[in-house]
Amino acid sequence: MGVVEEAHNVKVIGSGNKGTVVLGHGFGTDQSVWRHLVPHLVDEYRIVLYDNMGAGTTNPEYFDFDRYSTLEGFAFDLIAILEELNIESCIFVGHSLSAMVGVLASLHRPELFSKIVMVSASPRFVNDDDYEGGFDQEDIKQLFEAMQSNYKAWCLGFAPLVVGGDLDSAAVQEFSRTLFNMRPDIALSMAQTIFSSDMRQILPFVSVPCHIVQSSKDLAVPVSVAEYLHTNLGSESVVEVMSTEGHLPQLSSPATVTPVLLRHIRNDIAV
Amino acid sequence: MASSTITTTTLSDLPDVILSNICALVADTRARNSLSLVSRKFLALERSTRSHLTLRGNARDLHLLPGCFRSISHLDLSFLSPWGHSLLSSLPIDHQNLLALRLRLCFPSVSSLAVYARSPTSLELLLPQWPRIRHVKLVRWHQRASHIPLGGDFVSIFEHCGGSLESLDLSAFYHWTEDLPPVLLRYADVAARLTRLNLLTASFNEGYKSSEIVDITRACPNLTDFRVACTFDPRYFEFVGDETLSAVSTNCPKLTLLHMVDTAAALTSPRAVPGNDAGDSAVTVGTLVEFFSALPCLEELVLDVGRNVKQSGVALEALNSKCKKLRALKLGQFHGVCSATEWRLDGVALCGGLQSLSIKNSVDLSDMGLVAIGRGCCKLSKFEIQGCENVTVKGVRTMVTLLRKTLTDVRISCCKNLDATASLKAVEPIYDRIKKLHIDCVWSSLEEEGGVEETSHDDDEYERSQKRCKYSSDEALNGFCSEDRVWEKLEYLSLWISVGEFLTPLPMTGLHDCPNLEEIRIKIEGDCRGKRKPSEPELGLSCLALYPKLSKMQLDCGDTIGYALTAPPLQMDLSLWERFFLTGIGNLSLSELDYWPPQDRDVNQRSLSLPGAGLLQECLTLRKLFIHGTAHEHFMNFLLRIPNLRDVQLREDYYPAPENDMSTEMRVGSCSRFEDQLNSRNIID
Repeated sequence: MGVVEEAHNVKVIGSGNKGTVVLGHGFGTDQSVWRHLVPHLVDEYRIVLYDNMGAGTTNPEYFDFDRYSTLEGFAFDLIAILEELNIESCIFVGHSLSAMVGVLASLHRPELFSKIVMVSASPRFVNDDDYEGGFDQEDIKQLFEAMQSNYKAWCLGFAPLVVGGDLDSAAVQEFSRTLFNMRPDIALSMAQTIFSSDMRQILPFVSVPCHIVQSSKDLAVPVSVAEYLHTNLGSESVVEVMSTEGHLPQLSSPATVTPVLLRHIRNDIAV
Repeated sequence: MASSTITTTTLSDLPDVILSNICALVADTRARNSLSLVSRKFLALERSTRSHLTLRGNARDLHLLPGCFRSISHLDLSFLSPWGHSLLSSLPIDHQNLLALRLRLCFPSVSSLAVYARSPTSLELLLPQWPRIRHVKLVRWHQRASHIPLGGDFVSIFEHCGGSLESLDLSAFYHWTEDLPPVLLRYADVAARLTRLNLLTASFNEGYKSSEIVDITRACPNLTDFRVACTFDPRYFEFVGDETLSAVSTNCPKLTLLHMVDTAAALTSPRAVPGNDAGDSAVTVGTLVEFFSALPCLEELVLDVGRNVKQSGVALEALNSKCKKLRALKLGQFHGVCSATEWRLDGVALCGGLQSLSIKNSVDLSDMGLVAIGRGCCKLSKFEIQGCENVTVKGVRTMVTLLRKTLTDVRISCCKNLDATASLKAVEPIYDRIKKLHIDCVWSSLEEEGGVEETSHDDDEYERSQKRCKYSSDEALNGFCSEDRVWEKLEYLSLWISVGEFLTPLPMTGLHDCPNLEEIRIKIEGDCRGKRKPSEPELGLSCLALYPKLSKMQLDCGDTIGYALTAPPLQMDLSLWERFFLTGIGNLSLSELDYWPPQDRDVNQRSLSLPGAGLLQECLTLRKLFIHGTAHEHFMNFLLRIPNLRDVQLREDYYPAPENDMSTEMRVGSCSRFEDQLNSRNIID
């Protein structure tokens, strides 16, 4: 097994020949977040699963704080995986942050992606004048205080005890739940990366077709974000808002989400 | 006067033969370890007399096996790391054979083997090494792979150890019931020599079918110890009824130990109390009498039937006269166990030789019945009562008083009228003798006085029997158990508590002073989903710091169900609950902890969360920690901060154990890295 494969716990399964589907999970979770979707794809496609650096299932020593201070670090990881597996073209399904990582990767290497399915994606989480990202500065401040308190405790050998449920804002609670699954220093770094990232400027340069899928009630991703993406993406795109709740619909409502994702994977955007 | 030198005689002056016999009798591992440090001679003696060994360590380090334990007869390989993986299968084939050979060279006399057999290959490698094995225990919590042919797991055992095999334990081995009977048929001569067969497998939903039980007992007529999980529900296909029982007793007349346990009653919902309208089983009294008559050697009997067995009193009286050696009895859902309508003893109260009695879900058992049992079963040292709605503190307390000389182990659970206060009140008469106790932590409001109001008619009956018995009872049946009681002999305490409740009232109910309490088991159960945040931030584990000798704990939140990552807005997820449960655990000086994290059933995840790991790392006196679930590597690394921690393992010993990475099972690499770090530290003692 190559170094990249092993570090990212890459798994290639499925005997299908309709193409290759690469599944990218969001921060704080790992490839098991796709457990309900995989059985439905296994017969038709070759599926590649991997864990991002910093996920609980990877060796924490491999997390390079400089590399991952921006999303590009993750995009390069994705490209490295595709190259090591000699994948010429794939359908990339990315959840939350991974969706943006896929978009970034496609800017560098557009020929590697035939389409990107974006689940619960957002180019920027913090509100701006004219832009509703979903989070206020106040909310984020409280989250950072929590992460910093955990980080300090961890460094000093005490128990980091703050979790998402302690925060006031329901949106932050929901979104950050998975952040508290990561090691405190990595979680703090990721939080900084997430809330400082702003992908709005690069959207017009995307050339790969994008399928935008999200919950109708996701506190972290208002429906207006899906609209924004659709309007500003340079490539052709389509939006589907599912009648699900929460930021991890593929885990909380698999019965609704799986058919939607299958449809978007199998079918292209009608011109 | 010549001075005489004073010589002292020490243990080492005893002849070697005697010393070696003494050494052989020492069972406790830590004692043996200490023994081996005394001198080279004692070291040699200890090594040559140690008979039981559980191997811990990483399977890939098997070449480092010590060769000094030549007398091991009982070898347990099921705990090797990485836990739950096929032994040796990750190595190239020629290495596998060499390591199996090495195992044989180091342990030439193995007669009893326990091994985690994820697939038959481990057995095919190991069993040929010891053809004289008498006892095999297989462990598998992972699902049985469907490509294994029927019986494939067992063929190696019967093939290689057929000459001397006597006992097979499948109680922790997930298999299909169809796997076993054909193998027993094929190796009929081996089956005929079997004396022990344990088929009480925790993972079964329905258990063994009636015809399978008949076939098995017919193939193994020499069984003395037979335990099987089955279903007594007549609505199910192949339920156990009269015919099955007759067949069992006819086929295996030499049985001394028999457990027949209904899977629904005991394994899937052990605390469910069937109401008055629960269905009947297909077991009749007449058959029971014949059944008992045909098993005169019975010493221990468990019939945990999940449906009603009516009017069983007569059968139990027959039990007493036919099975004179019976010492332990457990009955589930038997009615008429002891009706105590007249002065004379009836039903189970006539079984005077019993030392252990467990009555579960007998809806008609009354206080009078308990008193009769107390009078009749006068040698009882262990008594358990579960799900009996009609008994009250008066009945139990009177019974306990009657059995004061012998009773040391009492368990009270799921009885409507016996909450924590009442249960303690009930066992108060033996406060200075009781060694093991289970109560449910159901707290009544503090204004209530203990006990339940009874009708005056019952009171008269009760008074009369009191006078007749001529014993003295405590007058104060109202109020709480006195806080002055010193529970001097109490060593083991087991508690059940519903999720959301607190542990803090426990000392105030009377268990304030337990100077010798060493081990505690706490089971927290319930559905967290939709529950509001508890009014206090912690369950109250710190209140256990009262008990000075407390060193071992089993904290079982495994049946607490909630959301791991997908909690709806503003609902508590499992990380908050885990923090609630574990806060304060660092205040106890525990040396050994078994912990079952709460689970998210939708994704079959039982995983340690951030606050969980953080709170566990505060138990600075821990030496052994077993987490029955999964955990991320970086959370495990928190535990490296505990200075003397030396034995840690993630054991997914619940059904079904997560099969692969789709369930965030801790990966083999992570496991090995963690253990390497753990083992590379200097341990002071």
